Amino acid sequence: MTVFHFFNCAILTFGPHAVYYSATPLSEYDTLGTSVKAALVYLGTALVKLVCLATFLKVSENESFDPYQELLKALIGFIDVAGLYFALTQLTHRNISQNHKFQAVGLGWAFADSVLHRLAPLWVGARGLEFTWDYILQGLEANANLVFSISLAALGSLMWLRKNKPKTLVPIIYACAGIVATMPSITRSI
Amino acid sequence: MAARDLGGRPVLESVYSVIALVFVLVACAELCDAATVVDVYRLIQYDIAGAPFGSRLAGLNHHASSLHFPPGADLSRTVLVIPVRDLNLGYVKDYLSQRQPLGGLLFLLPQIFSFESKESSGNGEELLKNIVMELEQLLIHTNIPYPVYFAFENDDINTVLADIKRNDESGQPATATTGGYKLVVSTTEPKKVASPVISNLQGWLPGLKADGDPNQLPTIAIVASYDTFGAAPALSMGSDSNGSGVVALLEIARLFSLLYSNPKTRGRYNLLFGLTSGGPYNYNGTHKWLRSFDQRLRETIDYAICLNSIGSWDNELWIHVSKPPENAYIKQTFEGLSNVGDELGIKVGLKHKKINISNSRVAWEHEQFSRHRITAATLSELSTAPGLFENTGSLADSRNFVNEAAVIKSVKLVAESLARHIYGHQGKNIQIFADEGSLAVNPSYIRSWLDLLSQTPRVAPFLSKNDPFVMALKKELEEHTEEVILQNEVLDGMFTFYDSTKATLNIYQVASVTFDLLLLLVLGSYLIVLFSFLIITTRGLDDLISLFRRPPSRKVKTA
Repeated sequence: MTVFHFFNCAILTFGPHAVYYSATPLSEYDTLGTSVKAALVYLGTALVKLVCLATFLKVSENESFDPYQELLKALIGFIDVAGLYFALTQLTHRNISQNHKFQAVGLGWAFADSVLHRLAPLWVGARGLEFTWDYILQGLEANANLVFSISLAALGSLMWLRKNKPKTLVPIIYACAGIVATMPSITRSI
Repeated sequence: MAARDLGGRPVLESVYSVIALVFVLVACAELCDAATVVDVYRLIQYDIAGAPFGSRLAGLNHHASSLHFPPGADLSRTVLVIPVRDLNLGYVKDYLSQRQPLGGLLFLLPQIFSFESKESSGNGEELLKNIVMELEQLLIHTNIPYPVYFAFENDDINTVLADIKRNDESGQPATATTGGYKLVVSTTEPKKVASPVISNLQGWLPGLKADGDPNQLPTIAIVASYDTFGAAPALSMGSDSNGSGVVALLEIARLFSLLYSNPKTRGRYNLLFGLTSGGPYNYNGTHKWLRSFDQRLRETIDYAICLNSIGSWDNELWIHVSKPPENAYIKQTFEGLSNVGDELGIKVGLKHKKINISNSRVAWEHEQFSRHRITAATLSELSTAPGLFENTGSLADSRNFVNEAAVIKSVKLVAESLARHIYGHQGKNIQIFADEGSLAVNPSYIRSWLDLLSQTPRVAPFLSKNDPFVMALKKELEEHTEEVILQNEVLDGMFTFYDSTKATLNIYQVASVTFDLLLLLVLGSYLIVLFSFLIITTRGLDDLISLFRRPPSRKVKTA
């Protein structure tokens, strides 16, 4: 029953994205194009990150914590944010409200992340006879990543798209955006 | 699955992004991700005149169970994993004789039977050796309709076995509905070995012919059979039967080649060294070799000495003959050997066993010589004639049970008595092959050849025509003798063998079907809850209810 296990893990990893799309008003306003464009932007961002990492990072022999390397990795993580900025502001979307735009972009972003990072290991590994908990954990990670991407897109749209922000909330928004952007680095070093 | 160290994660993430682009190609990938992978060796499968023996199947794909299974459990789709240390032979005998259905058998052999282990044999190991020999005899002579494999104990498989025992004792044997360990051997179905080849080697050391002497010189033949037969053909190294005989023959050839290289010390006898194959099959190879002799050669052979299992004796050797002991040659040979034996502290006994021409069973190699009217005797540590496929170099016959000193003493015995006969020094107390002389028996030569033989399985049907080991023997004979002839024959049609002797076993830990179904249920309910939650928060509760109430509202409209 190994294809069964693969099927289970696949619906855990990719199911929430499909459910999110169909349950929220996104499906009524047909925002699929936006999500697809966001996914493509994610792909580009990932390639740029790959090139930067390969160029600037040194492969360390021992496991010591090197603050400069970690700083470099965090900086490269900001390329993510730049990509999201590009997807939110620079792409031409159809006339959809901001509310739905950030949700669609976040959804596309998270879906591309799941497919690129989790589909290959799932396909190759989960179909074997041997049972491990890895793929279920990976699916839960994909769910968490969905929440994370949508919140990042929300903060991004608040920062760049909405022109009339209440003055008091501006620093809070930027602080939250900063925390959420560096979240991947924090979770990695735990 | 991938290494999740801090340093490697970003690079690995990016690499995965690129790989994911070509995931279509990955659709063909099949990774081996088993918990444990073990080398296993299959029980031999053969027919004698059409009657099947041994394990008839090779592929295995069943759950594992130990001997502690709950009584009354259905074992037709399970593999019993039995460590030989805890073996209850009577139980296995009952199981096999009652032909109860079983998915497969896996026997775990202690490390002492493998070449890598250097443990010396003590009393406990002798008991183990006897148990393994009995088990082998039982398995070889039974027709078993399921796969039987042998593996060596190691840490991985011991932990797996301990786990299996724990599960069994808690009353949860591994089946498809509960989880557990699954043993998979994926190999092709065994096919017949077409025309198995047996290769005989002979080396000729010519003696010194006096000028003007028209008569042919007499010949003395020294013969040993080098092939083996055992329960697991890939493990039949046969260190004692007949590795010790082969090593002794090579050393004797070396010593006499040293003597014969100088015309002043060359004897008036030719020496014929024979390494024959087909030993376990009623010495079929020897029969074909002798049949190929031409008449003159056959007439010049005075007598032949066959060496069989001379590696693990303490102080007693036997000479087995089929001609009556009153025969002149037999008497001479026996007296020569026992005189030298007395000097070396070896007791040499004589055993006479008449040949029954109507019985096709040939228990000793000298019997084939006698059937071709050549006087011969076998020197062996065995006191009784072995039965069919007994003492043919099987599983239990490993390097740890062979004593180099015994082989060295046997070589001295045979070489001394031969030399005294050739040079006419019978009864005189002269040590031709004394230790510390230039003609001393070389212990490291014996040790290195014994080690090589203990690592080479030599079951004749599975040796190819130009097998590297046979070529190595040929080369070694060429160094010590002139005129080495390799004779290839086809094994007697009465025996048919099947291939597939070695395989790899994958041990998987599988989850039960109930687990998968449960997981599906949990995930389904999770997604439904998520769906409802999202609809309620973004569109309102009415929309959720309206999903289920659409058909009635239409009816209201039309009405």
